[in-house]
Amino acid sequence: MKSILKTFTLVASFVATSAFAQDSDKALDLDQLLRQLEQGQIIQNKDNQRREQEFAAKVSEQDQMLNDATQRRNRALQTSEELERQFQENEFKLADMDEALTTRLGSLKELFGVLQQVAGDTKGKFQNSVISAQIQGRATFLDELAQSMGKSSKLASIDEIERVWFEVQREMTESGKVTKFTTDVVEAGGEKVNKEVVRVGSFALVSDGKYLDMNPSTGTVAELVRQPAGRYGESAEELQQSSGELVQFGLDPTGGSILGLLVQAPNFKERIEQGGIVGYIILVVGAIGLLLALERLISLTLVRTKVNKQLKAKQANSNNPLGRVLKVREEFPDVDTETLELKLTEAILGEVPKLGRNLTIIKIISVVAPLMGLLGTVTGMINTFQAITLFGTGDPKLMAGGISTALMTTVLGLVVAIPMTLLYAMLNTRSKNIVYILQEQASGVIAERAERG
Amino acid sequence: MFFAEFFEAIRDFTETGGQVLLVIGVLIFVMWMLILERALYFFIWHKQLKQQTIASWNARQDKSSWFAEQIRQAQISRVMLKLNVSVPIIQALVALCPLLGLMGTVTGMIEVFDVMAISGSGNARSMASGVSKATIPTMAGMVGALSGVFASTWLARIGKTEKTHIEDAMAMEH
Repeated sequence: MKSILKTFTLVASFVATSAFAQDSDKALDLDQLLRQLEQGQIIQNKDNQRREQEFAAKVSEQDQMLNDATQRRNRALQTSEELERQFQENEFKLADMDEALTTRLGSLKELFGVLQQVAGDTKGKFQNSVISAQIQGRATFLDELAQSMGKSSKLASIDEIERVWFEVQREMTESGKVTKFTTDVVEAGGEKVNKEVVRVGSFALVSDGKYLDMNPSTGTVAELVRQPAGRYGESAEELQQSSGELVQFGLDPTGGSILGLLVQAPNFKERIEQGGIVGYIILVVGAIGLLLALERLISLTLVRTKVNKQLKAKQANSNNPLGRVLKVREEFPDVDTETLELKLTEAILGEVPKLGRNLTIIKIISVVAPLMGLLGTVTGMINTFQAITLFGTGDPKLMAGGISTALMTTVLGLVVAIPMTLLYAMLNTRSKNIVYILQEQASGVIAERAERG
Repeated sequence: MFFAEFFEAIRDFTETGGQVLLVIGVLIFVMWMLILERALYFFIWHKQLKQQTIASWNARQDKSSWFAEQIRQAQISRVMLKLNVSVPIIQALVALCPLLGLMGTVTGMIEVFDVMAISGSGNARSMASGVSKATIPTMAGMVGALSGVFASTWLARIGKTEKTHIEDAMAMEH
């Protein structure tokens, strides 16, 4: 053992010295190192001898300490035995007293159990009931009562039992009333205003035609950020202004949870954002189609009024297609009918493409928009299935996000396609009618005029 | 009182169907107005115009020249233009009905999935409103399309048969 220790010391000191030598003093040679080691050993030996002497001198002291320690241990053992005995005695006593308590409580014990349960249940109900906005601090008493009953160190007093009864009865009575009271309301803007609030049983809180919501944990009353449809707000206003007569009122029978869902439903802008890139592309394409359709609508309407005027007019006017076709007759007054027909056909063929310009693009947009919607649907579903691969089907919320993206693009595609189809049908009819007039009427009008003179 | 109940029933129905149902309702209304207008035109004014045109043709001396042929074509086309005024629009509206129904389905499904995103798939009752918004417009779109298909085919067929009738009645002499 000692030799191993020595070797360790040697190695350690060697390592230390060599490291030291490397670091600062490179001139130190091996002889010097040896000498240093020798000196170190001598000093160590001296130390060890001194320690041995000290130890030998203290032998009698050690014996004394041992004796003391043994005595202390014996005393502690004795106390422990005594305490254990006392503990057991107390256990028996406790069991006896418990038994006595149970016998004396008898059926009361069951009653306290029920009381505790009722107090706990009612506390939960009170926290969620809007009546708490009017009568505050009811839940605290019930909470304290339920907790102290749970510890069973204290029995409920008759006053407390009667108060539970009173609170339950009051909740019942109040839930059948429509009352007005004033309280602090946090408005949609964030500021706190003290104003009159109408409470409808335990179902709804309204104020100034707006539906309110109570936060169960803090008991504060706040306006719903998103209100239901206008006529419900009007019915709430009517209710507040009524003085006892019967009025209609839109009630949320779930006590606020349906109204609460209103806030979570995304609005129009959020819906469009759900569509993603594909959605935006569809909207841009739709906007282009709409602009083209508007341009066509205006120009075709103008052309049609001019053509109608031309049908009635005697002179050929070159500001409209029919006029330009009729001009052919004036330009070639002396040709035979076959040449005239050829010239007319040529003139009509020159007019047709101008009337039908851009209509093909509108048609294409009306067909492509639902296809792009389908594309968005498929990419959305791919995202959904990737989510399923990663997280499994356990959480429908993860899938729902991707699915609503997918469906949103379909909606956008249809929203663009439906008016485009309608506009195309309208514009196509208009341009077709004008072409029809050109084709079938131009020669007829010329013939009629020729006959007339 | 009866009308109030009637109105409320319609309002509740449109509300369960959502806004798309309202659009479909307007669309079907416009479509049937156009169809009725066409039917009225066909049974009342068209008959007059047809008789006038045929009479004016029969009154003509010259029924064989190139001019006569062109005038005949022009007169027939004027009658047909008036008869077919809104038929393509009606056909487009018929085609739009199922498309709008599909849009209602998709918006309804979006609502269902929004509810699922908020409250999970456990609550079937809260999903019911979205499901009714998905199914009622589809049904309404189908009803509209089916009712319109017959009317628009009838109108298109009237156009064709009338054209041949008039052409037969206004015979050319050779």
